[in-house]
Amino acid sequence: MNFNSAASTFDLKVLVPQKKAVGLWLMMSGYRLRYLGATLSLGGSALAKTSTYLLLRYFVDNYFGQGSPTIGLPIIALGFILLALVEGGLSFTSGRLAAQTAEGITRRLRNYLFDHIQYLPFTYHDHTQTGELIQRCSSDVDALRRFYADQAIGIGRITLLFIINFIAIIQINLELALLSVIIVPILVITSLFFFKKVSIAYEKNQEQEAVLSTTLQENLTGVRVVKAFARQNYEIDKFDRENREKYRRGRRLLMMHSLFWPITDTLCGFQMLGGFLLGAMMAINGTITIGSYLAYAGLIVWIIFPMRNLGRLIVQTSTGMVSYGRVIDIIRQNRENLDEGDYLPEGNLKGLVEFKDVCFEYQSGISAIEHITFTAYPGDVVALLGSTGSGKTTLVNLLPRFYEYTDGSIHLDGVELNRYPRRYLRKQIGIVEQEPFLFSRSIKENIIYGVERDISQEQIETAARAAAIHDVIMSFPNGYHTLVGEKGVTLSGGQKQRVAIARTLLKNPRILIFDDSTSSVDMETEAEIRQALENLMQNRTTFIIAHRIQSIMEANLILVLDKGKIVQRGTHEQLLNEDGIYRQIYEIQTRIEDELEKELTGAC
Amino acid sequence: MPADYFEEEEFQTKFNGKTFLRILTLTKPHWNLLTGFLLTIIVVSGIDAYFTFLSKRIIDEGIVAKNTSVLISILMQYGVFILIQAMLVFLFIYLAGLLGEQIRFDLRRKMFNHLQRLSLAYYSKTPVGWIMARVTSDSDRVSDLITWGLLDSTWGVVSLLTSLGFMLAINWQLALIVLAILPILIVVAIEFRKRIIKEFRNVRKTNSKIVGSYNENITGVRVVKALVRENENLHEFIDLTNTMYRSSYRAAWLSALFLPTVQLISAAILGSIVWYGGLQAQYGNITIGGIQAFVSYVTFMMWPVQDLARVFAEMQHAIASAERIFSLVDAKPSVINHPGSIDPGSISGDIVFQNVSFSYDDDVPVIKNLNLHVKSGETIALVGPTGGGKTTIVNLLCRFYEPKEGKILINNRDYTEMTLESIQSRIGIVLQTPHLFSGTIRENIRYGRLDATDAEVESAAKLVGADEFITKFEKKYEAEVGEGGNLLSVGQKQLISLARAILANPEIFIMDEATSSVDTLTEALIQSGMEKLMQGRTSFIIAHRLSTIRKASRILVIEDGQVIEMGTHTELLQKRGKYHQLYTKQFRNQVNQEIDQFVSINPSLGSIKP
Repeated sequence: MNFNSAASTFDLKVLVPQKKAVGLWLMMSGYRLRYLGATLSLGGSALAKTSTYLLLRYFVDNYFGQGSPTIGLPIIALGFILLALVEGGLSFTSGRLAAQTAEGITRRLRNYLFDHIQYLPFTYHDHTQTGELIQRCSSDVDALRRFYADQAIGIGRITLLFIINFIAIIQINLELALLSVIIVPILVITSLFFFKKVSIAYEKNQEQEAVLSTTLQENLTGVRVVKAFARQNYEIDKFDRENREKYRRGRRLLMMHSLFWPITDTLCGFQMLGGFLLGAMMAINGTITIGSYLAYAGLIVWIIFPMRNLGRLIVQTSTGMVSYGRVIDIIRQNRENLDEGDYLPEGNLKGLVEFKDVCFEYQSGISAIEHITFTAYPGDVVALLGSTGSGKTTLVNLLPRFYEYTDGSIHLDGVELNRYPRRYLRKQIGIVEQEPFLFSRSIKENIIYGVERDISQEQIETAARAAAIHDVIMSFPNGYHTLVGEKGVTLSGGQKQRVAIARTLLKNPRILIFDDSTSSVDMETEAEIRQALENLMQNRTTFIIAHRIQSIMEANLILVLDKGKIVQRGTHEQLLNEDGIYRQIYEIQTRIEDELEKELTGAC
Repeated sequence: MPADYFEEEEFQTKFNGKTFLRILTLTKPHWNLLTGFLLTIIVVSGIDAYFTFLSKRIIDEGIVAKNTSVLISILMQYGVFILIQAMLVFLFIYLAGLLGEQIRFDLRRKMFNHLQRLSLAYYSKTPVGWIMARVTSDSDRVSDLITWGLLDSTWGVVSLLTSLGFMLAINWQLALIVLAILPILIVVAIEFRKRIIKEFRNVRKTNSKIVGSYNENITGVRVVKALVRENENLHEFIDLTNTMYRSSYRAAWLSALFLPTVQLISAAILGSIVWYGGLQAQYGNITIGGIQAFVSYVTFMMWPVQDLARVFAEMQHAIASAERIFSLVDAKPSVINHPGSIDPGSISGDIVFQNVSFSYDDDVPVIKNLNLHVKSGETIALVGPTGGGKTTIVNLLCRFYEPKEGKILINNRDYTEMTLESIQSRIGIVLQTPHLFSGTIRENIRYGRLDATDAEVESAAKLVGADEFITKFEKKYEAEVGEGGNLLSVGQKQLISLARAILANPEIFIMDEATSSVDTLTEALIQSGMEKLMQGRTSFIIAHRLSTIRKASRILVIEDGQVIEMGTHTELLQKRGKYHQLYTKQFRNQVNQEIDQFVSINPSLGSIKP
């Protein structure tokens, strides 16, 4: 398998501007010779099959008829075996080559899509449904695989069989040959018509199958509701209805099949019968030899019967085309270039961040943040406060260049942000989300996820201790090797966040973005997390997306955001002396404790 | 875990005669279809072999004898048989297919109906995906075995036998050569099939891993980007696609090798026939037509052999499927109506837990010696840490499970003396993660009482305050809720399930409050809806909201399967015990959460006041 050749570096992007047929041809790049080989082998195999019948003709004519055999019996017998060997060998070769082609193309496509998708920008992922994307990467890719593995080669096979055997029969007798294929156009049209219908009926059957599964699944997951309302009989009736519909659609599909096969059987049968009659008459008249008749009787089968499948292949090809279009839609999207940018510092960032009049719009005309201006000095803690949708997250998402600001400028260590390559920025910036996504692998692997250097178990544990998650991990039976999401082990939002803190500690970024969680933890853990955070924030410019005032009182700069604008700024003390949202929130929060105290004392 | 994970479970059972017989009994109600298609298929395979015999006669009696009238009469016979055959082919495809659909239908129905009877204990042990795979793919596999499997093997055996019969009649020495090589052909075919099936299973397994990998990388794309993990992820993924390539390629070349190998063995037979037949012909022992017939029979023979091999290789899997289906159908519900149980007509009244102990698995007690007397109309708030036993108490009350020790009395009667339906149909329940069914909003509310009129459905919705958001939909009550209700928000789903419960007009109301926060307005609606439901009914609330807790007539603090504190809000606060601790923590959290949405600071302030 020479996969690591030019074939793997082929950029599928070149398919995008092309027409479908050209695209499918281009997609085969690197495999075309192999596919050609597959087709040639098929032809060779068909030729060997035809020759078998011609050998039969020779055998019969010379050993039974008037001819005098010049070739000995053992050689003829050997000839049959040899031809079978050639036929089988070539058909095997063809199968192998076709499989290499189809599987190779599919593997390249899968890898390309996987890689492509992870390089597509946030703006793409924001608007795309996961399920839809996965569907395209699995079912549609598989439809394309079938196109190369079965359909294209299948159509080629039928065509080759027809041509070779037709020529062979012409050699026997032209008139006979022409009269033997009258039925072929009718057969092809019938099968095309039939399989079109079948594919619709099949779709409908599948749809009902899906409905049935959904009904079942909802019943199973909602078993408490069903039992609580004692709706067992109702559910049984509902399922019965869908089940019956499935039965009905299945029967319809079945009816089509049970009509198609006998009808085409009859068509083929009478065509053959006609051929037999004509051939037999010719043999009696002496126009052709008996051996020729026998060869004809064998060959005709390979012309007529395969035609019944042509319709199926053609109809399936059209589904392949639709899938091709859906896959190309993904490839058409532009990747974000991780290495684009002309300024690549040797060492680490210092962490001086200056926003000047920064604006950003997700869609043109609808601004997410407007005219943001502030400066964070290396080591500063900047707190962002605001309601959901106020632009906090958007603002910090600009720093790793997840999105490109539409106006104004951001300077990092005095250099315009978009001059830094994204890869560099993302390595320098650490992000701890409120409820971080963990991958379904072990906790250990999650902690070292994204760290490129080798890391010892000791370092991992040190990071986990600093993130106040070590003890939790050790309480699991498999410790650091516990699989996230494994039966019985579910991490709470707070625990996930601490795993992410450990991960970020190992990553050791210069700028830190932290989404402060409100998830409920007890006081001890809360203190531990505070400590973990402080460990994390040391010597780093930190942006905190804050939810409560306690966590931001020591920030060097607090920005209060509302509808994408900064409405208040300053330190905790400064903001307390100002009229505004900040003081309101502060008062409410301090009142909480007062009220609680009041209630408790009231109760006593 | 998804259903396809369980479909590919390795199940290799030895051939089990008992199971096989039980599979056959599935066809009993449809014996007419079964005998119908079996008879047809026997005739069809007979005619198939006869066609070849007719071809021989065309050559020997027509062409070689130069007898046109005999030729025509044989050809006419041939034509008639084509028509008969066509009708028979229609019949056997249709009958076998119909039987298949019937068996599928029966199996699905049988399993579904049985599932409705099974107790919650079964569901807590059995993953939904497992059950799904049984009802979908396993029933397909079993019905395929009974229909196409039976059909192919009958056809295969009869074809082989009739072909052999005709061959023996034409020339017994040649027939013996064929007979000698036939077993080799069959064994080779079966071995091939087994390996091919195994490879295809590997392909499917790897495929589900690939899909899983796509899923994770797309869902976690933000983390991937933030940690610049793209290269490494691609490398891991390439490992997977390489495995996939190897398995699919192996499956493909095995399949590609299969037919040529079988053909080659046929060719060996053919070669022997030609050699031996040619010698015989010189002595006049065999005719041209005879040779032709042999050639046809031998080339044709690989089809029945192939089919037989496939059926045989797949049979084991189908039997394993059947065993899993039977295990489901044979599972006994653990909570059933006891003999002589009655419907008391009403279950309002005092509820008493007497020394109740319970464990899910026999070793870990979840509820320990619980004693509780709830007066009719009381509202009981259950609070305490996760895993403490709150949900179990509710499950016992609903009789989803029964106590292992002790008794639960409703209105002074042991509830196991009542029918399950009489209890459960009078309990209204709203779950933490509300479960809706695909269909319209109206259908979902009506689930509470099936004979409710449209007006009643709507007034129930109005009563809980769901009416407002429902009427904002373009289709109003006819709006689809999506699979599992996923087109609605959690809050909306909860409102609908409240309406559903209120429509049922239950005598006991149970609610598991949601922990996740919903917007303030919806929260207020849910609260008022709950209050409407609690009026005049004995209610049990697994409570997370302070307002709910404070309004309860009694609060039970449940920890380690026991009631560790009990009393009213004020009483318990004064104790300064566990409740006090829980309450203050919850208080801070809740208020903090409310403040997060500080655009609406002022409205949310009201709820802080005790």
